[in-house]
Amino acid sequence: MKILLIEDDREAASYLIQALDEAGHVTHHASDGETGYAMASGMDYDVLIIDRMLPRRDGISIIESLRAEDNKTPVLILSALGEVEDRVTDLRSGGDDYLTKPYAFSELLARIEVLARRLNPAEAATNYQVGDLTLDRLSRLVMRGEEKILLQPREYRLLEYLMKYSGQVVTRTMLLENVWDYHFDPQTNVIDVHMSRLRAKIDRGQKSQLLQTIRGAGYMIRE
Amino acid sequence: MNSISQLWRTTTVRLTALFILIFVVFSVILLGYVGFQSSIELQRLQARDVNWEVRQFENLYERRGMRALAIAVQRLATQPGPGIYYFGKPDGEMIAGNFHAMPVDVLANAGQYSFTYSPDIAFDRRNAPPPTNRDEERQDHEREGKLAHAVVRTIILEGDFRLVVGRDIVQRRNFTQIIVRTMSLGVVGIIILSAIAGGLTARRVLKRINAVNKTSNEIRSGNMSQRVPVTKRNDEFDQLAIGLNDMLDRIEQLMQGLKEVTDNVAHDLKPPLTRLRNRAEAALRDGRTDEEHRQALESTIVESDRLISTFNGLLLIARLEAGSNSEALSPLNLSEIVADVGELYAPVIEDAGGVLETDIQNDITFNANRELLAQALVNLLENAIKYALNGEHANARDGNEKITLSLTRHAQQIQIIVADNGPGIPAQDRVHVLERFVRLEKSRTETGSGLGLALVSAVVQLHKGSITIEDNEPGVRAVISIPTP
Repeated sequence: MKILLIEDDREAASYLIQALDEAGHVTHHASDGETGYAMASGMDYDVLIIDRMLPRRDGISIIESLRAEDNKTPVLILSALGEVEDRVTDLRSGGDDYLTKPYAFSELLARIEVLARRLNPAEAATNYQVGDLTLDRLSRLVMRGEEKILLQPREYRLLEYLMKYSGQVVTRTMLLENVWDYHFDPQTNVIDVHMSRLRAKIDRGQKSQLLQTIRGAGYMIRE
Repeated sequence: MNSISQLWRTTTVRLTALFILIFVVFSVILLGYVGFQSSIELQRLQARDVNWEVRQFENLYERRGMRALAIAVQRLATQPGPGIYYFGKPDGEMIAGNFHAMPVDVLANAGQYSFTYSPDIAFDRRNAPPPTNRDEERQDHEREGKLAHAVVRTIILEGDFRLVVGRDIVQRRNFTQIIVRTMSLGVVGIIILSAIAGGLTARRVLKRINAVNKTSNEIRSGNMSQRVPVTKRNDEFDQLAIGLNDMLDRIEQLMQGLKEVTDNVAHDLKPPLTRLRNRAEAALRDGRTDEEHRQALESTIVESDRLISTFNGLLLIARLEAGSNSEALSPLNLSEIVADVGELYAPVIEDAGGVLETDIQNDITFNANRELLAQALVNLLENAIKYALNGEHANARDGNEKITLSLTRHAQQIQIIVADNGPGIPAQDRVHVLERFVRLEKSRTETGSGLGLALVSAVVQLHKGSITIEDNEPGVRAVISIPTP
């Protein structure tokens, strides 16, 4: 993936560039808002990572200008603020996701990989398939092979989200945000408990285990 | 002197002065008008009397002749009052009357005249009647030797006689003077009285305001506990004082909160930071294998994550307690919020070996913040799980571990209850658990920032509710009560 990082903290930026490189992504870096905006509107990137507060031009204004130019590149906003209201206003400006500093790299990586797929037309598909597991979004029917799987409404949404981004790591925080719409960190392993229940329903007694735990990062569903 | 100049600067005194000025101007205008009008009226009355008398005298002269007229004139002339009478020859030889020195031009032709004269000469003291009390005004004039003023009417009678009837207008003037004098006295009196009243009012107002100033000075010099005195009168000053005091309470509360945050940051963030540093240092010094380094780094990350979450918690609580308006409340279905949290935690509780029982009344709507309220309930449930199901004091398991989550609407309030049947909290500790960083001695070994209940408390306050920690016999019951409007 080709990524543009607009971040004025040089140490944080070089750490991030190195880590993204290790994950197999090409990252360009701009350390102020004006340069960042010029690069973002001049070149074609898969994802933009934009710090909220930047010298010369703030991140929100960059996003607004890009969106006004009909540039639809997915944007992940990095912010030191992170209260619910800030998140709401920032996302309204045209940002696609929001991450509060400090964050874990795995969290950032999972989010940009998911973001990059936002423009993928396959997202709007009416059914998802991973191996012999199928989910029909119209009839809300979930099948494993020939067997019908009965899910609670929340379990269904959990599986739907995982399958929408199949083959990609989804973090616990992302699940809590997207499935439950909560933006705080519960202290216990509440997501793990729900995941193990879901796993019991779709993977128990099957030869291949589709739902995988990615240590230190989150979950992934894949063949 | 300073207090007098201060008094002058007060609004009340200035207003009083302005009103006095306006009043004086108004009084002078009124006085002039009344004086002028009454003078005109007196003049009109005197002219009427004179005309009437003249007509009487003419009739008398026509019917009864000169002698009868002379007697009549003499009778009126000797009566006290401002009357001026002359009956006689045009050359000034008086047959009857009281005015000896009638000017020659007045006697020359018929008509209206007004002239000044000297009362001494005109009323010729030798023939004048003895002074009476009622004649006092004229006497005053005579004594003072001033000139008097007369208004008369002259008619010519058959046989070249002259009849002059008129009035001395000294009475008229006196009347005007009396009015002016009385009203001037009144004006002076009112000026004095209103000045005193204004001064007293200003002093009273100043006293109240000085009390406020004194308080604000003391607060500025650092004594935050000072409050503006409130009297029992409940007047506008008391309203102001109550408002100011409320504001001061709020400020003091905020300052207290800020101080607590700083204290807590120092007290509870320093040790883990130190620990973090020591661990990294130890890894550098002692770590021999990659595996050892890796473990040290992993524990460093875990420790920093915990620090971050503690720090976020502190900030959130501080922000909530500051009551910033950004945490908007909007009408939401409370039943759904509570049910969602219950649904999220039911499996967790089951995995921990307990049961979650929910009793949620449907369709209760209330002005709430979904995110914060959910977080508060999550914290309460996490506490219940931690202390009633996982805690070391929950050892004596009997398989009946139960956590209940309920939402009910009563007449005056909405109640959310999170209860467990675990080991409970000793009565003397129940109040303290809502404070920041408090972890009861028994639970020191547990992980957690100790901020959970403090956050709950702050969220409940944001929703204008109250929370109590009660004995569930056995166990703990956290009762959130939010009054309904």
